[in-house]
Amino acid sequence: MTLNEFPLIALAAISCWGVGSILQIPAAKSKLFQGISWLFLLLGSAVLVLFLTSYWIVLERPPLRTLGETRLWYATLIPLVGFLVEYRWKIKWLKYYCIGLASFFLIINYAYPDVFEKALMPALQSPWFIPHVVVYLVAYVLLAASAVSGWHNVLLNFRSKRSTVSESMSHYLALLGFVLLTFGLVFGALWAKEAWGHYWTWDPKETWAFISWLAYLGYLHLVARKTDPRSLQWYLGLSFIVLLVCWFGVNYLPSAQNSVHTYSG
Amino acid sequence: MQSSNNPVQAGSSSGGFTKPAIFTVTAILAGLVIEGLTSGSGITVPGWPANFYFLLVFSVAIAFVGLRFREKALVSWLGGIPVGLSLIIGLALLSLVGGVVPQDPAGPDSLASRLRLNGMFSSWPFAFVTLLFLFNLGLSFIWKAVPFRVANLQFMLFHGGFWIALSCGLLGSSDLQRLVIPLYEGQESSIAYEMPSEKPVHVPYSIYLKEFVINEYVPQLALYDPEGDKVIADKSRMLPEAKKGAKAEWPGIATVTVLDYLPSAAPDAKGNPVPALNRKGVSVVKVRVVEDGKSYDEWITDGGPDVKPRFIPVGKYFLVMKAGPPKAFRSDVMIKGIDGERRTELLEVNKPVDFRGWKLYQMGYDEKAGRWSTMSLVEAVHDPWLPAVYCGFFMIMAGNLLYFWKGVKKMEAA
Repeated sequence: MTLNEFPLIALAAISCWGVGSILQIPAAKSKLFQGISWLFLLLGSAVLVLFLTSYWIVLERPPLRTLGETRLWYATLIPLVGFLVEYRWKIKWLKYYCIGLASFFLIINYAYPDVFEKALMPALQSPWFIPHVVVYLVAYVLLAASAVSGWHNVLLNFRSKRSTVSESMSHYLALLGFVLLTFGLVFGALWAKEAWGHYWTWDPKETWAFISWLAYLGYLHLVARKTDPRSLQWYLGLSFIVLLVCWFGVNYLPSAQNSVHTYSG
Repeated sequence: MQSSNNPVQAGSSSGGFTKPAIFTVTAILAGLVIEGLTSGSGITVPGWPANFYFLLVFSVAIAFVGLRFREKALVSWLGGIPVGLSLIIGLALLSLVGGVVPQDPAGPDSLASRLRLNGMFSSWPFAFVTLLFLFNLGLSFIWKAVPFRVANLQFMLFHGGFWIALSCGLLGSSDLQRLVIPLYEGQESSIAYEMPSEKPVHVPYSIYLKEFVINEYVPQLALYDPEGDKVIADKSRMLPEAKKGAKAEWPGIATVTVLDYLPSAAPDAKGNPVPALNRKGVSVVKVRVVEDGKSYDEWITDGGPDVKPRFIPVGKYFLVMKAGPPKAFRSDVMIKGIDGERRTELLEVNKPVDFRGWKLYQMGYDEKAGRWSTMSLVEAVHDPWLPAVYCGFFMIMAGNLLYFWKGVKKMEAA
């Protein structure tokens, strides 16, 4: 499959998630509807997994190079985090945020289609390419889910409906996200040494990756200081803005003119 | 990163965040004042062995202060989380300035230049905050390391690794040499250039370039609209590859089928392209164009040193060939040491070669000449502090793995 089929695939995925979400209403009282609902929810993600696999084969390179391609991965992975959270913590609401976010990314990709481009510049042809980008992608997905849950908890607190389980979930999502963020950062440095001659050059993307890492490092130290978890929900919600700058915002900053990373996600 | 299995001993109950925040802001302001007074001259890290001695004295001082005055309120405060956190935020804010303001030379009278905001990572504010952060990090490390407990291993690996990577990376930057060696086919050179000053430097080896080769991706076909100065996408919304048998369709304009693709060709006596073995050959694509029911065969090329580009008018458009971007480029070289040692190596992007403490990288080529370039740019890097920095990186990763393991176990227990 190529980008020609993408609109149909995006429509199929969003429709499946939509139908699955609506069926969650009768699913509360019926095991049959519960099964059908989950079938649709998982089918939505399966459609995207199938598309990504097929697109990878046709491209003859990992679809991890452009911003549009990374959005495709987020759209595939974020709902899966929502599903896993429901499985682990029995928290149902996160998946709707995740589906909403994934649908938003698919719509952006539909509105601003990538150019089909097989070429992979020599510096990206490295054994580090896939581990570095995939680890970062999963980290971003987990931290996005933690931010969404942080904002949800802020709203709950406003309505005096605090949920410690939900706060615990946002913490563990952030913790796992930080671990992967750290691996992504170090993998990137090791790759940079092999490809560009030095492990750290304060390239704008590197600088913003460092700022994002420091933001979550700060979060973990606030946790260690036994800071009120209600305040930390704000912190988690806001920290993700730094990650968004690092993901794509950095391309629009004045400092990015000479960045080696502006081509990428 | 604090493991909550190990309750904080020193520094954990050392006050709120107001004083640490004032402490950090003071350090930043002091740095900015120095920059202001010196017109943004920045800090120059001393080279070997002064940087090594500094690191040694600094490490011993941290260990001494941390162990000897562990119970003192000031020391406990300096090594505590509030100070560490405020310095982390300070580092993040300074990095944010460095991540927004272009880190390039600016006019000497600009504010960025006078306060060295355009050279943030070698500025006094950054140096002060980093030094204080290293002091804080070092104290927290030593308190966990002495007495040694296996339960503190994750903390020690992560914090110790970060300390080593940060201190050795920054202090070792003055010993880092990154030089560019231009090589020409059939010639030998031992002259490298410092960038951006282009100051020539003799390196303790010479490199002879036997051959420089570029492999390109398959060229693409494009329909060019000269009026709009743009390329018209075909029905599949791609630039079709010029592979034999490939078909491209521009509805209402034309259908094009690739009859043959010659990656290296030259015109024969009649002007028709035939395969060429020499390096001056150009990529040629023979196509069948069906336009308004008429069909004709033609060939196109993007040209080369001895062959002009050739395209086909299709209505008000032109069918052109777009050269594929570089897939790989490599230099076949002979490296000779000053003692006569000779080594034949292939330099390629992502595959640097080690030669007596130097890493040699395939960096670039004459981009104007493209695939016909006979010049290769090699980067030579000498970084004696690299093993220490890598040691820090691997400690961070080991600590990170343990942190993940502990996190998963706690999550399961929650």
